[in-house]
Amino acid sequence: MRNGPRVILHVALAAVRENVRNRFFTLFAVFAFAAVYASVLAGVMAVDQEGRVLTDFGLTLIEFTVLAYALFNASSVLLREAETKTIYLVFSRPVPRWAYLAGKLAGSLATSAVMLALMGALHLLLLRLRGFPPPAYYAWALCGSLLKLSVITSLALFISLFSTSAVSTLVISGIVWTAGHFSAETGFLAAHSSGAKAAVLKGVLLLIPNFQLFNVRDLASALPAAAFAAAALWTAGACLAASWLLSGKEF
Amino acid sequence: MSAPAVSFSGVGKTYKRPGLLSSRYTVGVAGLSFELRRGEVTGLLGLNGAGKTTIMKLITGLLFPTEGKVRVFGHPPSEGAAKAKVGYLPELPYFPPQVRPAEALAYYGSLSGLSGSALAAAVESAVRRTGLEPHAAKKISEFSKGMLQRLGLAQALLHAPDLLVLDEPVSGLDPLAIHDIRGLLSGLNSEGRAIFLSSHSISEVEKLCSRVLIMVRGSLARTVERAEWESSPRGLEGIFVEAVR
Amino acid sequence: MRLLLAFAALLSWTAGGLFSSVSYRSQFPPPPEIHVPADGASGDMLALAFGARRLFADVWFIRLMQYYGTPELEEGEQAGEYDWLVPGPKSEAEHERHEAAMNGEGRYPEFLPRSLHILQIDPFFTAAGLYSATALAFNMNRPSEAEELLRYGLRYSPREWKYLKVLAAVGYSRSSDPAAVAASIAPLLKDPDCPVMLKQLAAFLNKRSGNVAAAAAIYADIAATSRDPSYVRNAERELRLLAAGRPGR
Repeated sequence: MRNGPRVILHVALAAVRENVRNRFFTLFAVFAFAAVYASVLAGVMAVDQEGRVLTDFGLTLIEFTVLAYALFNASSVLLREAETKTIYLVFSRPVPRWAYLAGKLAGSLATSAVMLALMGALHLLLLRLRGFPPPAYYAWALCGSLLKLSVITSLALFISLFSTSAVSTLVISGIVWTAGHFSAETGFLAAHSSGAKAAVLKGVLLLIPNFQLFNVRDLASALPAAAFAAAALWTAGACLAASWLLSGKEF
Repeated sequence: MSAPAVSFSGVGKTYKRPGLLSSRYTVGVAGLSFELRRGEVTGLLGLNGAGKTTIMKLITGLLFPTEGKVRVFGHPPSEGAAKAKVGYLPELPYFPPQVRPAEALAYYGSLSGLSGSALAAAVESAVRRTGLEPHAAKKISEFSKGMLQRLGLAQALLHAPDLLVLDEPVSGLDPLAIHDIRGLLSGLNSEGRAIFLSSHSISEVEKLCSRVLIMVRGSLARTVERAEWESSPRGLEGIFVEAVR
Repeated sequence: MRLLLAFAALLSWTAGGLFSSVSYRSQFPPPPEIHVPADGASGDMLALAFGARRLFADVWFIRLMQYYGTPELEEGEQAGEYDWLVPGPKSEAEHERHEAAMNGEGRYPEFLPRSLHILQIDPFFTAAGLYSATALAFNMNRPSEAEELLRYGLRYSPREWKYLKVLAAVGYSRSSDPAAVAASIAPLLKDPDCPVMLKQLAAFLNKRSGNVAAAAAIYADIAATSRDPSYVRNAERELRLLAAGRPGR
């Protein structure tokens, strides 16, 4: 147990270093180009709502870019380390498996947080250049995105431990992501259904994380305290489930 | 009396492959009972699929036995107390290509519980002992097969383990590299470390080991002491061929 | 130990679900209220699926402005037959048609459904609600539709005072009291999100009531802050006319 925090830190740092080397600059270039292009388009089409459109477009693009990277990484990292036998060099050492998993998740989230922060700074600079002040809810919107990423990344790590390929992990995670944004609609259907159908819908509501809880981007408001608590519970649940699978996994 | 380095008691490992309607079971090893003595160099010989890598993974806690009991210095292999004393070199080790050897070794050393000056000293010593000093400035992507093998050995040495488990340590190496590795392993053994190595090269096993285990289709067919193969006119090769036929 | 991990995982995950279901209440219109007026159902699905309601509401708003900015065809007219920008002398009917288009007049039968749809996707897009209500009530002379839109907006933003102000202004416009209408919407003009169409309306109403100074101040604000070149050009023209003592029509 003493090893745990130390292992988490070292694995997380190694994960961030590897991520920075491999992905950052390509994504920055893509985002920078997309942001400039969006600015030109928005200026032409949105007229007096340009500030709002630029903000909405940028926040959505930032979240999707970081989500794409986080899911791609989480769905393949453990599989890749098992295939290349890198994981042999780790688990033949006194490394608690739960700590290794936590380190991988922490590294992924740290990378996501840095990407969100840097892309957000670039986006705010763009808004400033176009003459718009930073919206009051901007930091909350990025924070909400990070909480969403925490839940979906930990879930993707768990799914990757039993799925047959990185692609299937990506697909399943994508389905959960999409379904999680339909929680309000699912709740509406459940309230207007009866019998087995209502029970199934209520079960779905309980099992699929409600990503709308973190989506203050759409409400232009602060994050409620409940969002942090829910994110912590879901992330912990997915991590515990992944630890359960990893503890019995052979290599 | 201290526990042996490794103890196998009636160990079996059956692999389960889930199928569409039912599962397929393959016996990796069965009924294995043997000990590896502290400070001894023991070789493991066998044809492909005989169970050599299975045994090594059972010792390092990467696989769990289906039957029987495995103990490493008296502890179950999955416990930290056992793993802290074992250094493992898998066959064809892989390292992140964009890092330099010292960075990779520092990472694995930190996972073994080393830090600060002790970690730096361990990395420096491992690099020097495995002959990687001339290549320290290169990225791993520029390494040859022999250099990768040396790096694999270096990561196994970092935490000064009492037992080295080496899966095909000289596989694919040129004669000079093999000579260097042999010298290194002899030196490590003279420090009191036990070494357990598998190889397809009978001559290498003959030169290094004091005892050899011969695996045939998942079972331990023969245990041969050095005195036996040295006194046999057929040598270790003849004993091996007879055992596997 | 492993069983404990699995149990703890299920417990934590379910607790998250229970906690979320207790603390979350959707502030958006339910599915039966969302009616897609034009080709865009797939866009709405994406809006919901990716949690990008605001962004897709922006896209619908841009589509609304493009729809409203496209001159309508006369009965029997083919697309491309009428183009004001083609050089050459224009008949009086063409001049009247062009002026009506510049004033935002026209049938635009999809204007209300499209406007409602924006609020169905993002009920907090107040600027869009005000823009549409202003265009319906004061450009297209359809105060009932403007009131319907504003009342829908108030369902999800009951404390949105700007909707109440414009609702009052629509009421005053029915009684042909331009001064009262101007006074109703005056507080909205200071808001940075106030639609420029509303500002232009306020300036026009002040001008009609004889309050030239107030009209000039509003036109000056439009010229300085609006990003729409047509509104800026119009404001600058009005300022020149007001300065010359000849208020335009």
